[in-house]
Amino acid sequence: MSETTSKSIREDLTQRDELSLYTRIANNPRPFFKWAVPMLVLIAVEFPTYAGVAFGMLDAVVIGVTGLLDAAIGLVSSGLSQTIRDAQYAVVGVLRDAGGFVDGLPTLFSREVIPNQGYQTGPNGPWEGTFLGLEPAYAWALRATLIFAYALFTAYWVFRGWLVYRDHYREADWTPTDDIVDNLSNHQWGKFGIFVLILFLTMAVFGSALGPTTVEQNIQSPYSERINYFNEDTGEVDQVFPGDANFNSKSKGSAEFNVGPMSYDDYGRFHPFGTLTNGRDLFTFMMGGARITMIVSALAIGGAALIAAVFSMFSAYYSGRVDLTILTTADGVVSIPRLLLLILVSAVFANHWIGNVLNGGFLLAIIFAFTTWPFLWRAVRGPALQVAQEEWILAAKSYGQQPRTIMRKHMFPYIVGYLLVYASMSTGGIIIGLAALSFLGNGLGISPPTPAWGRAISMGQDYVSGPSWHISLLPGLMIVLLVTGLNALGDGIRDAIDPEAGGSAEGEEAAAGGGG
Amino acid sequence: MSSETHADPTAGDTEPILTVENLQTAFYTDRETIRAVDSISFDVKRGETVGIVGESGSGKSVTARSIMGLIDSPGRIMPGSSIKFQGQELTELSDAEYRSVRGSGIGMVFQDPQQSLNPVYTVGNQIRESLKINRGITGEEAVEEATDLLEAVGIPDAKRRLDEYPHQFSGGMRQRAVIAMMLACDPDFLICDEPTTALDVTIQAQILDLLKDLQEERNLSILFITHDMGVIADIADRVNVMYAGQIVEQAPVEELFANPKHPYTRALIDSIPGEHSRKEGLETIEGEVPTPNEPADHCRFAPRCPKAFDACENVPPQHVSVSDEHDHTAACLLYPEDLTESHRVEKHLSLANDDTEGDT
Amino acid sequence: MNRGLYLIKRLLLAVPVMLFGLTLSFLILYLGPIDPVGTILGRQATPEDIRQLRIQLNIIYPNGEPVPLWDQYLRVMWDLFTLEFGQSWTVQRQTPVIDLIVGRMPATIWLGFWSVLIALFVGIPLGLYAGLRANTYRDYFASGFGIIWRAMPNFWLAVILAGLITAGGALDWYKDFIVTTTVTGTPDVLNNLFTLYHVFEGIPLLEALAIPVPNLIPMAIAFKWILPAALVLGSSSMGNEVRIGRTAVLESINSKYVDTAKSKGVSGRKIIYKHVGRNAIIPLLPVIMGEFYLLIGGSVLVEQVFGINGLGNLFFRSILGPDIPLVMALVFIFVIIQVTVNIVQDLLYTYIDPRISLEDTQ
Repeated sequence: MSETTSKSIREDLTQRDELSLYTRIANNPRPFFKWAVPMLVLIAVEFPTYAGVAFGMLDAVVIGVTGLLDAAIGLVSSGLSQTIRDAQYAVVGVLRDAGGFVDGLPTLFSREVIPNQGYQTGPNGPWEGTFLGLEPAYAWALRATLIFAYALFTAYWVFRGWLVYRDHYREADWTPTDDIVDNLSNHQWGKFGIFVLILFLTMAVFGSALGPTTVEQNIQSPYSERINYFNEDTGEVDQVFPGDANFNSKSKGSAEFNVGPMSYDDYGRFHPFGTLTNGRDLFTFMMGGARITMIVSALAIGGAALIAAVFSMFSAYYSGRVDLTILTTADGVVSIPRLLLLILVSAVFANHWIGNVLNGGFLLAIIFAFTTWPFLWRAVRGPALQVAQEEWILAAKSYGQQPRTIMRKHMFPYIVGYLLVYASMSTGGIIIGLAALSFLGNGLGISPPTPAWGRAISMGQDYVSGPSWHISLLPGLMIVLLVTGLNALGDGIRDAIDPEAGGSAEGEEAAAGGGG
Repeated sequence: MSSETHADPTAGDTEPILTVENLQTAFYTDRETIRAVDSISFDVKRGETVGIVGESGSGKSVTARSIMGLIDSPGRIMPGSSIKFQGQELTELSDAEYRSVRGSGIGMVFQDPQQSLNPVYTVGNQIRESLKINRGITGEEAVEEATDLLEAVGIPDAKRRLDEYPHQFSGGMRQRAVIAMMLACDPDFLICDEPTTALDVTIQAQILDLLKDLQEERNLSILFITHDMGVIADIADRVNVMYAGQIVEQAPVEELFANPKHPYTRALIDSIPGEHSRKEGLETIEGEVPTPNEPADHCRFAPRCPKAFDACENVPPQHVSVSDEHDHTAACLLYPEDLTESHRVEKHLSLANDDTEGDT
Repeated sequence: MNRGLYLIKRLLLAVPVMLFGLTLSFLILYLGPIDPVGTILGRQATPEDIRQLRIQLNIIYPNGEPVPLWDQYLRVMWDLFTLEFGQSWTVQRQTPVIDLIVGRMPATIWLGFWSVLIALFVGIPLGLYAGLRANTYRDYFASGFGIIWRAMPNFWLAVILAGLITAGGALDWYKDFIVTTTVTGTPDVLNNLFTLYHVFEGIPLLEALAIPVPNLIPMAIAFKWILPAALVLGSSSMGNEVRIGRTAVLESINSKYVDTAKSKGVSGRKIIYKHVGRNAIIPLLPVIMGEFYLLIGGSVLVEQVFGINGLGNLFFRSILGPDIPLVMALVFIFVIIQVTVNIVQDLLYTYIDPRISLEDTQ
């Protein structure tokens, strides 16, 4: 009885009835369909790519997590750990089958649709096997441009979805998020950050279609299939293993052994970034590196943000001894410089099974998460403390609401913006750290032959001042671009959630800079 | 500008210490020019307290900052503006010359005592800085003088509190310390920009009493800026009512409260809660202060004005005398009351044209 | 609470922090898949040798029983805190760890000293300058440097810089600039930076004291040699300092207390030095202290690229060894440095920012 009256009063007051999103869409389906149909098309044309990425990540997480569980439970009961191992095999098997299946499906912007690998039929003859008989460089550039355009448009369309929801289906006319989005869309520097992030996410997702060749063909198994090329010595079209072609396309810092950026090698293969010291295509290598880099950083920063969010709310809600304990733990973690801990753990576990999950990336992600949360925690603890002292939190406490509910419903929405800011800035440090480990080599970092940005820099170390300058320089510039973009994004979100602060200096040092 | 505005037969014996004429301060942003202060004129006489009252965004604080020479880029005081302090034209001063006017000539107390004191220096340090710069007092003598000043503004245990930091002072005490710091400069003229707004009511009354006492002791002239009509009634001798960068009404304080002429002033007085209220309940003024980004070719209050008529949208109102006994003017097309509507509009138009001709 | 008590409290809080870091390293090294005996003796070891070594390393008791982990832990911790660092396993077999560390110390201290100093003297003035000239082209120029410095990986910058200087690159002239020096490797002059004068000869107690007088020529050579590496190592701190310095100045310069000071007639220069400067230093303090954190990690990479025989390089080699006593000793030293820096920072805060009371721990 009383419940219904209070509900009707509420309806009177707020002038709104509580309809589910589904009903609201059913009442006015036009805007939704106008948005959803193009969205479905956008997803459908590249569905196998997305599914492949999802299966790959799931696969790694399942192996990593069950592996850790197995090791932990194995200390207690070997029977249980056997069950876990069986479950792991089963799940991974299913995932790999599914992955293999979607891999075979066609996509719109694949190298099969717009091929760029081909061969000349004569000294200046037409190109065979490329898209419309274009030169490989143009065919590749066309495909890459289309993919980036598609990715940018898809990103815009997702944003458009939120706009449609806001304008047609959201019950509230205005929420604080609207202001944040408005502020961010007026923030040039922040938009630059978003653009860079989309660029690199595109490389991570569409990497295999973006490169002039594939990691598989050019780097991982270069001796499985021959490619055609025009042999100038014999004047005929010959066949060669990519591995052998790589051998003769090395960039070794001298005039005769160098394939620079935007040039062809002797086998009619186009190299946008030139070749590595072992003749492999640097651009393809970078695209492969982008995927592992983005996966590891995403896992790491996600984990770190989760720990930091929970701990900062604990700190703020309980304060006192709980806060002091977390503080001491955080200081303890930070007391060993991060890079040293990373080197230590990855060296010790270099040959251990966990060092092989995700080509070593899983273990690194865990260590990065473990070493990054103290910085995030420090930066978010302030806002969390602030919100914990707000009247509405005290009111919720006095009504006897559960601490868990208070934290989730009242505190978390307040700190999530700050968390995003510092997470964005800390990710730069993780990316640099990851590259640093791969640079050091010796079993640290991402294990070869999986491409890693740091390894490319290390390869070109001796050729910086010479024709093969591209090997070290270009990967480094890409890292600089990505990290700058992430910092810009952080700046943008910060200015958007708190325009008054105009970039408060407090707490920022905590997240700033990677150092590696 | 029109000399009749300031003609006051009773005020012949006191010279104005500050005369502001046709002050225009504009801020240039990428998108628009904001005329935060748009051609205002008023004066302050020796030993007198003049109030400027208006809603937030009406240009009160920009007026104060313009007088202090604290307008930074992208703001600019427009040519043709004149601020005369003790006969000296301030708008033509170089930075260094202005510095010698600040402090020993004009002091300023800001709204938020929380932020007006530098958090990393002791209160004593900041008072002694004033003493050293403006009066050349240093060393032991400065400590004694600073102690005296703190006592003069009613801070107990002054000697010890000199060595404390601002965060160790309460809000009211902090504002007293800021006033002491300004008095240390020994100014002839004090600008108070909402000095009591951040304080609670009892402390507010204490600070107002303190300012009155100090004024009497030191023959200070005060320009008092506030949005609070109650405070203005308490402290000011004469009042300027500001709206959207312009002064809409000028009058001695009793006259203003007894016979408010401009519809905006009436609305302001009606919105005071408590004894001054003429109606039951709390009146508020509907609408918001517009951002003055266009030159004034109409009455800016017209959209919110209950008495607006067609001409208000087209004719910029000019100050006309609205009282026979007092120096009381209002910029409103409803006045002079003895003329018909068309004659009133004509008079304002011709005054406006005289003005523009005078400017060019 | 007075400063003495505060210091004691901070020192007490530092104990669990140190233990946490050291315990973590211990667990990784002793629970991880490392075979110390195989590492030290190689494949051709006799069972007796292995048994002897295991006893020596405190893995088994002489009666063949395995030593429990907590027993090993206590032993390792006790040795560390009594500064018994033991002997190296693999990096330089049977050399006392302490000798190795002391031998490598000068290069790293020299590198760290200059990288901190250069970052300070370039980054902070540039940041303050950018803040004072906010939103002018000079500000964009300075801030742009800050943004790029922050985003550049140390090791990459090191590779590029070393490459440009050594291999006939654009900066080749640097090698022969003023004095001819190498850029990579560790020069001997490092051991000849100071001459010690024993002025108290013959006076008991004071006899051990000597006054170090810098030798200018070796100093100059050593400075020129370390400059590129120090620039690289300080780069990200420099970027942070530009950025934080700029926002701190902006925040302070737009504050009410600066307006108030102007109203008092304080001159522009004095406002910058006295009122803005001191307030802007407060948020810069953790950045400056944070340099040490970046420095220890970064030295591994920078020393690797420039071939400097310092502690970072030693740490890398000891981990690859693996040389557990050396690793633990180095971690111990790094943790002590880190904890000390934290305490110094908190103490400095109480001097610079009067709002921070000694009652607070954080």
